[in-house]
Amino acid sequence: MSVSLLSSALRALCLSGSRTVSSQWAGPSAAASALIGCRGFMTSACQLQNRTLWKQREKYTIRPIGMKKTGGRDHTGRIKTHGIGGGHKQRHRIIDFQRLRSEPGKEEPVMVEKVLEVRYDPCRSADIALVAGGNRKRWIIASQNMEAGDLIQSCRGIGRMAVLAREGDAHPVGALPVGTIIHNLELFPGRGAQYIRAAGTCGVLLRKVSGTAIIQLPSKHQIQVLETCVATVGRVSNVDHNKRIIGKAGTNRWLGIRPSSGRWQRKGGWAGRKIRPLPAMKSYINLPTAAARA
Amino acid sequence: MFNATMQRIRISSSTVNQICKSKDCHGVLIMIPHGRRCLSSSSCLYGKVFPRKKPRVVPEITGLEPVTYADRMHFVPGLAKPRFPKWERGWKDPNHYESPKPEQMKMFKDKPCYIFNQRTSVVEGVRQALWLSKSAVIKEFPAQILSLAEDPANQIEDQDERVQNAIKSALLWDTTDDQPPRERYCPMLVHRLLHLCGVLQVRHPELAKRMLAEKYNLAATWRRGEDVFQVRGHNGLLINSMNPLPVLAGPEQIQGTADQELETFFPIAPTIDLQCTNVYQEKSTTGFREGYPYPHAHTLFMMEMGNTPKLLPEQLRSKMIMFCFGNALVRAKAQYGDEPRVLEKPIVVQSVATNGRIFQFVVFQLNTTELQSDSGVKNLVWVDEDKPLFEHAQVRPHIKRRVVKIPAGLSGYQPETFKKFLALFLHGAT
Repeated sequence: MSVSLLSSALRALCLSGSRTVSSQWAGPSAAASALIGCRGFMTSACQLQNRTLWKQREKYTIRPIGMKKTGGRDHTGRIKTHGIGGGHKQRHRIIDFQRLRSEPGKEEPVMVEKVLEVRYDPCRSADIALVAGGNRKRWIIASQNMEAGDLIQSCRGIGRMAVLAREGDAHPVGALPVGTIIHNLELFPGRGAQYIRAAGTCGVLLRKVSGTAIIQLPSKHQIQVLETCVATVGRVSNVDHNKRIIGKAGTNRWLGIRPSSGRWQRKGGWAGRKIRPLPAMKSYINLPTAAARA
Repeated sequence: MFNATMQRIRISSSTVNQICKSKDCHGVLIMIPHGRRCLSSSSCLYGKVFPRKKPRVVPEITGLEPVTYADRMHFVPGLAKPRFPKWERGWKDPNHYESPKPEQMKMFKDKPCYIFNQRTSVVEGVRQALWLSKSAVIKEFPAQILSLAEDPANQIEDQDERVQNAIKSALLWDTTDDQPPRERYCPMLVHRLLHLCGVLQVRHPELAKRMLAEKYNLAATWRRGEDVFQVRGHNGLLINSMNPLPVLAGPEQIQGTADQELETFFPIAPTIDLQCTNVYQEKSTTGFREGYPYPHAHTLFMMEMGNTPKLLPEQLRSKMIMFCFGNALVRAKAQYGDEPRVLEKPIVVQSVATNGRIFQFVVFQLNTTELQSDSGVKNLVWVDEDKPLFEHAQVRPHIKRRVVKIPAGLSGYQPETFKKFLALFLHGAT
């Protein structure tokens, strides 16, 4: 309390520094927690908050990590996204989205790994697989017919001839034949899979043109990426996810979905069929910025 | 917060006149008489929430020192925040001790070492333990030891009844609750069975030349290929004896193992799940000092109670094999020296592991310490898997639809399992 009074007094003296109306009163809670990690008064909002510490882990581990739920609230405590809250407790398993990540100290053009188990992940709709290769184990998104005991490959090179695509293998998009079903698509080479990760989704490699490849996403949008971006062959696991029946309101609450407002919003725009032309093809072939390195 | 708001308004003016009830206000916008609004209390809810600003990145320019307010001893707007060097306490406080980085430690070595300790749970189980100890497996109980148990001279009077009493006392009679926790009944059962076996000391005086030991630190080091491996830590309950165990497999069988291939499990490396560290010491100690009267390791008892990482039966068997191998290897090095060689007199170590109900028996014979290459004479392992001592031991019967599925008390007792236990105990003393 005294800290916030002093800080507001100093803020009055200060020439620069933004004055926010809300921070004067949301002050005691936000400033007190924001000041846990920092010593001075006038530092801007410190990044060290207990609510996000569980996601600051640098070292990879296969051990599931306890999560803190936010309930849709942001750092000020107000609801940023409605309809989120409650639900069963979940533990986060760190998924490795970069299939070509080799062990530290070992760089190989082809990596072979064995699938140890395929299991349910509470944090996503797809199933995850524990794979082991060399000296390490990691979690990846399981593809449709992946079972324990399978061997999967991750290759780095792009040959002149297209590779015979096996389900579960990861290749650069330029090495796959046109028309393959893919998932876990990278947008920039080396950044890790960002697209086509949900249960049962798949993209189609439409054509390859001069060092880039054009892929159709599950939403029928088309994107153009560099041919060195890695994608995994096949569909994502848990294909019947969209056919499940929730059955009752309680199931939604167990999933952490709070009831929506119920009030008819005149300009909601959600009802009715929409017939629109596809947007233009989005191209991701500019050079990635420094933030692209994983 | 609302109460504090109301108190503040009461201090400033008289009765609240009007509370705005429109849909946006949530009933909080307070109007004081004469139309003045009390914004200091309710403005927090209507203020625009600005997104978090990233802190200004202060560039580091080499050669230029920023002007800080360190000399002024208080904050001055416009001057940079001083960066002080890390404060050194000057003396070693054990409550605030930061260990040095691995590279600065005394025992740091460039080559990493893979250590198998009592918490290790290898993913490939017995296959990985066989590769690490360069062994061939035989999936049955050794016949010579089994014949010891079949001999009626070696049996205890009322053996079955006494064993059943031991089980009941450990599982049923220990507490007034339904069943004591596994951490309690598992060691109790093993100690009771050992005590029962010790009754035969009257007939076999050689049994007196043995000693029990627990919590001793084993350290065994060996090299396979280019990697260094170690077995370290507490193993479990050990019976030591004055005389070594007799050899089980003859020379022909030992030479026959030289033709067998070691099983690899590509793509998984044999070093997976082992603790990899660069700070280690290449030690080889049995855990006992020179001149200990019972130098030879006889039988190792391991109790799997699920508190140190819960081990599946496959992982438990691999742990047994590795610890037997460790004990045999340090015995060989103590007797014959550090030079890798094929032993003329192979060393035998036995092991029994249990989770309170199911027993695993492993007999390990160390034939060679030439572990660098994959070819040549291999060591031998006899593994007897998953032998239950009894099926159910419950205080209350399990009744479903008026049919007794599981009766009260002890049911499904298997006498062969205790016979094997007794045989391993008597081996070397008859």
